[in-house]
Amino acid sequence: MVFQKLRPYFCASIENSNQMMLSVNDLHARIGEKEILKGINLEVRAGEVHAIMGPNGSGKSTLASVLAGREDYEVTSGSVDFLGKDLLDLAPEERAAEGLFLAFQYPVEIPGVSTTNFMKSAVNEIRKYRGEEAMDAVQFLKMFKEKMAYVNIDQSLLSRALNEGFSGGEKKRNEIFQMAVLEPKLAILDETDSGLDIDALRIVAEGVNKLKSPENATIVVTHYQRLLDYIVPDFVHVLYKGKIVKSGTKDLALELEEHGYDWIISALD
Amino acid sequence: MLHNDTINTLIHLPELSGASSESLAHFIDKGFPTNKWEEWKYASLKSFNEVAWSWTPTSIQNSVAVPEFQQSLSIQTLNGQSSILGNLPNGLTCVPLNQFLNQNADFKRLYEKRNPLLDQNSLYHLNDAFNQNPLVFCVKKDTILDASVVHQFILKAQEAPTVIQGKIILYLEEGAKMTWIEQQASLASESLVFSNYALEIWLSEQAHLTLYKDQDLGQGISLVDHTFIYQAANSQVDMFTFSINGTFVRNNLHFYIEGPQVVSNLNGLYVPGEGQLMDNHSVVDHRMPHSESNELYKGVLLGNATGVFNGKIFVRKDAQKTNAFQSCKNVLASDRATMNTKPQLEIWADDVKCSHGTTTGQLSEEALFYMRSRGISADAARTLLLLAFVQQVIDKVEITSLREYLSSKIIHKIEQSWEA
Repeated sequence: MVFQKLRPYFCASIENSNQMMLSVNDLHARIGEKEILKGINLEVRAGEVHAIMGPNGSGKSTLASVLAGREDYEVTSGSVDFLGKDLLDLAPEERAAEGLFLAFQYPVEIPGVSTTNFMKSAVNEIRKYRGEEAMDAVQFLKMFKEKMAYVNIDQSLLSRALNEGFSGGEKKRNEIFQMAVLEPKLAILDETDSGLDIDALRIVAEGVNKLKSPENATIVVTHYQRLLDYIVPDFVHVLYKGKIVKSGTKDLALELEEHGYDWIISALD
Repeated sequence: MLHNDTINTLIHLPELSGASSESLAHFIDKGFPTNKWEEWKYASLKSFNEVAWSWTPTSIQNSVAVPEFQQSLSIQTLNGQSSILGNLPNGLTCVPLNQFLNQNADFKRLYEKRNPLLDQNSLYHLNDAFNQNPLVFCVKKDTILDASVVHQFILKAQEAPTVIQGKIILYLEEGAKMTWIEQQASLASESLVFSNYALEIWLSEQAHLTLYKDQDLGQGISLVDHTFIYQAANSQVDMFTFSINGTFVRNNLHFYIEGPQVVSNLNGLYVPGEGQLMDNHSVVDHRMPHSESNELYKGVLLGNATGVFNGKIFVRKDAQKTNAFQSCKNVLASDRATMNTKPQLEIWADDVKCSHGTTTGQLSEEALFYMRSRGISADAARTLLLLAFVQQVIDKVEITSLREYLSSKIIHKIEQSWEA
């Protein structure tokens, strides 16, 4: 709510005629009996980068998971519109095909399936959904080669079983490689900085920045300001106890870095 | 206990007169295995005792195409009638047992050891009663058969429920090498078929056999497959059992390791689906030192399928320096499927390396969500994960055309199960 009131003020400084991409209205979600999201409102337009910050347990990763369609969470009320479609009505694979991408905080190990085979299946399933022709081996080879450059990833890594025995940095680079291949309209990066040293962080952030365009948008979910030195947000939102309690520009992130979350929380509690 | 009509029919069958009476009496006494028998606890054929079986299958008129695996020879057995398609390659002979025993003194000496070695179950006796003079395929000394031999065993029932009893003996002389591909398949059948099949294999020193079993049987068809393998010193067996379809498939596999430096590799892959039961019982009997056995079984259980794995390893007192490894891994692809596993190791020697491990699990929900979040449908994600799981066994198949053939049948079966 706070953010929506402030929106005209922020948007004055940047292009506001861009297409509305994601519109979250009063979203409530729970896991088991525990309500975690208690009325989220958020609007993201094409070309924008939003950062969602907040202390541990505030619901950041839950929001990312609910948007991607993880079935552990039950949405109890509210709505999410993604490019004119009711996002909550779509299966996870349909959300991906519509152009949503979640970079996982903890990418899952898929034993026996190489990244290349995984991505071939994903790309062709999405093309099938969109009524496009399947890509062949030669086209894939060319495309993969092009995308590998974004995150400086090695062919040998792509031939190995996905995420199996990968280092933290390799897993996150692989996530961004997948993002480069799938070319999502909206990418949600869930704590992509966790477990990364500064060099890996820079590579991952550079990859994300190269993929940025006026046609797509990014939501960066992070606990620390560090990542935002590299991926500069247009908007920063603070999530606390399942609600967005403060929104601002990138300066808000710097304030949080300096003063922590306490000054916001104490004003609320 | 067997049905009275069954007993009466059996004892009056002309082909069972003579030497087989002892075996037959054994079967009549015990009947089909029931779940009260320890070894058949999860795979009972109790209901077969009530069936009025026909013991004399009529011949199949259909012609059946043999798949192409670059083989040097195809053998087709249609409802028990064998025919050899083409010419035997050099170094391979095919002679009925009684005649072969007279021709080959080495084999005769080996074969005399036979009776006490075999698993004395009632179905083996039944098979024995019907197969007093089976064909013996012999690979001559130091003959290397590069191309494989395919034996297609085709079943088809007529009006009545039918029992079909096949048997083949393979004998590899010293230093001989061959690949044998066995297909158990069926034509559409109107009634029950029970295939009680035996394969007896004798390997001389330095012999090497690669054996593939492709079991793909239609609705209403049950198979009990007895495979006995005798290995002399320095011999090697690489064996694969692919159980793809069949209402009831039971494999009784018995390795008898009677020499040092023997290698026995047992691989199995079973994908029972709705209404199917697949049971792999194996015995690896290490009797001599410095030998090695590796067992790798994988199962994917679909629908309400039942799977059984029982792997026995004996390491006898003299079998020092034995390496025996066993692994059985299963995925229940449905919450209605059941898997029963039982590794059994009996080790009497004190200087050996043995290990065993069985696991039964389900597909990871985390992995499925991860894949779906990339646009892969739930069914395609499950298929991909299951194929990755079974790939380890499929990849060991050295003949490309056979590997692709088996792989596509397994993919088809898994994909079909999502539609049900």
